[in-house]
Amino acid sequence: MTKWIRWSGLIGFTVLIAILAIFWMFAAAPIIKFSIEKFGSDAVGAKIDVAEVNLGFNPLVLSISGVEVADKSAPMSNLVSFNSAVADLSLFPLLLGKSIIQDMSLEGVEFGSSRKISGALENNDEEAVPEVIKSSDVNQVSVAKVNADNAQDKSSASSSKAIPSADEILAREPLATVTRGEKFKLSLAEHKKELNESIALVPNASSMKEYQSNLDVVMAGKLKSVEDFKARKKALDKIKAQFKIDQKAIKRAQVAIKNAKKDLGSQWPLLKKAPGEDYKNIKGKYTLDASGTSNLTALLFGDDAGNYAKTGLKYYEKLSPLLASDEEAELVQEQQEKRLTGSFVHFPTDRPLPDFWLKNLSFSAKLPLGEVAIVVKDITHQQDVINKATTLKADGRNMRNLKALTLNGVLDHRNGQGTDTFDLNIQNWQLQGLNLGLAGLELNQSNLNVQADVIFKGADMNAHGQGQFSKAEFSSKDRTVLAKEMVAALTHIDKFVVSGKAQGELASPNLSIESDLDNKLSRAFNKRLKQKQSELEKQLKQKLADKLFSYSGDYEDQLRELNATEGGLGDTSKAMGKMAKAEVSSYEDQLKADAKAKADKKKAKVKEKLENKFKKLF
Amino acid sequence: MLGMLANLFKVLNSDASPGQVALGFAFALFIGLTPFLSLHNFIILFLVFIIRVNLSAFFLGCALFSLVAFGIDPLSISLGQTLLNLPELQDFWVGLYQSDFWRATKFNHTLLLGSLTISSILFIPLFLILTLLINVYRDRFMKWFETLKISKLIKASKFYKLYEKLGA
Repeated sequence: MTKWIRWSGLIGFTVLIAILAIFWMFAAAPIIKFSIEKFGSDAVGAKIDVAEVNLGFNPLVLSISGVEVADKSAPMSNLVSFNSAVADLSLFPLLLGKSIIQDMSLEGVEFGSSRKISGALENNDEEAVPEVIKSSDVNQVSVAKVNADNAQDKSSASSSKAIPSADEILAREPLATVTRGEKFKLSLAEHKKELNESIALVPNASSMKEYQSNLDVVMAGKLKSVEDFKARKKALDKIKAQFKIDQKAIKRAQVAIKNAKKDLGSQWPLLKKAPGEDYKNIKGKYTLDASGTSNLTALLFGDDAGNYAKTGLKYYEKLSPLLASDEEAELVQEQQEKRLTGSFVHFPTDRPLPDFWLKNLSFSAKLPLGEVAIVVKDITHQQDVINKATTLKADGRNMRNLKALTLNGVLDHRNGQGTDTFDLNIQNWQLQGLNLGLAGLELNQSNLNVQADVIFKGADMNAHGQGQFSKAEFSSKDRTVLAKEMVAALTHIDKFVVSGKAQGELASPNLSIESDLDNKLSRAFNKRLKQKQSELEKQLKQKLADKLFSYSGDYEDQLRELNATEGGLGDTSKAMGKMAKAEVSSYEDQLKADAKAKADKKKAKVKEKLENKFKKLF
Repeated sequence: MLGMLANLFKVLNSDASPGQVALGFAFALFIGLTPFLSLHNFIILFLVFIIRVNLSAFFLGCALFSLVAFGIDPLSISLGQTLLNLPELQDFWVGLYQSDFWRATKFNHTLLLGSLTISSILFIPLFLILTLLINVYRDRFMKWFETLKISKLIKASKFYKLYEKLGA
């Protein structure tokens, strides 16, 4: 029998096994480090740095320290990092190529810590574009459909439109008062210029007196001779020629006044109506009703809720594929590989052995709110093998301003379409100095209880949440009217409930936030807004009237003045016409007239004598 | 290929017993036909090292059967799948599946189970047939083969020099 045994072979085999074992002992840690960095980086799409890996053999313990998982979308920060991880490995499954880790504890876990060097993969430049730049497609976050975001946009618009001052509105809006007023002003200036020029040529009162006195000089006294007549005639003709010029000037002035009256008269009613029309337009555009406040909750809390949701979804989107990636891909791969490499057939067992199974992961994460102890059980990409869903439980410990925080999650990817559920419970969260991002509004203090649950099914999500605020106090450092009105409206509200929903596709869920705060605020706001609106309307009317006056001047007075000028011109024209009719009679006529006068005088004396005689007879 | 042929003649013409040579080839069935990184292959290697089988025959057999495996892999997978899904054997497989040792053998892998089954079925017949053939070759054909003109031509050829070199 012994002749069949090859002792040298036995020794050789033992030596070979020993060499392999020694090699494995020394090489395992660097190989594990390399594997984590290489394959982990490929899976995450960003650098994974591991400072050190140690492998202990009795018991079999893997220690990893200084792990930093870079954020693919923000390469200068880490998605997650931890100082050290200690994992208890199962030896026998490891020999089968199965990584079964009984317990793993992490120390110094941090989320979003900054990196010294970029975590972008060298051959992955395109994918390493920061999220800020890519936000147009993703966050179309992503949450492009988020009503809260829309509401935020609306808020920025409405905050400027809600209650601007009358001056702001008048400066911003195209006003008919302005356009028509400008035209009126221009026309008025043109007409004024024409009037001034034409009136300057019209003789004034002193000129008229001078004319009269000159005329009197010409007409006064008797003609002494033919030469005297000729001289007077010449002087009179000269005066008449001047009269003609002056009458032309008067005519021009009268035409100018007539045109001005006609033109300005046609423009004036339109200009007068313009403020009314403007006011009507402005009032329609700047309706200050409760609809502006109907989504106020979204304006106030939508931003924060949106950010929380974005952060949560970001981590979920990173982790979810790691749990589910093998499901469909593996099926396809198995079908493709069946002919060459075969496949495993799994049977029911109490001791399942997936390729990777982290049975119990515990760590505490430092969050701004405090420390959160997190326990994750049954992490594997082959849940169908272990027939268990991954569970997560997070408990707040030594939380600041928070009585209790619990987050429970079940990530079930045993079926083709994974179903992941989370529920969050926060008790007595004492909010302080929470910037609400609208009109400088701050929630000075409030107690908040939060209950929320979310279900991810395939590519869809369905989330509901409710926050109960009590003992709320609001303030604003802004001096704007909106800020003051908001604070005034919120003063009497100390309790309210905010409910949120997120439904639809995971990549772009529809977020909506509503609250009984809306109704409360609407009532308070409506009252204040009506008051403010009437004030604004009054101001607008006054401002428009002022604007009108600035263009027209005191048009009525000017019109009266024009009419008076027109009347004066008429009188002057008449007087001049009268003066123009004056003529110097001929010297012969004057002699005849003198003779006739003497004869008439004689006749009168004879008549008187006869009458006296007749009186004496009777 | 020439190297393998030379090796074959060297093995056949060596002083090794026909049983050792045949056993070397028979063990090579497992290594060649089944996936290499398996627990049973570790055991096979252990046996090959400690039992006086002809190592040249074993390694030559590994190379030959690895080539054959490419052709019969689909058959092995199909057989493994049939066996693993056979209702009558379900309790048996489930029972094995509860054991870490049997899980370590990867018996639930279709290719491994199919090829291991084929190897196991062929092991003894192959051993016996090869033993018989080697004996027949050595008794009747080895001397006759050496007297052939073609054998002399071969001896004068590059191939035979290689054979001599290997045999030296």
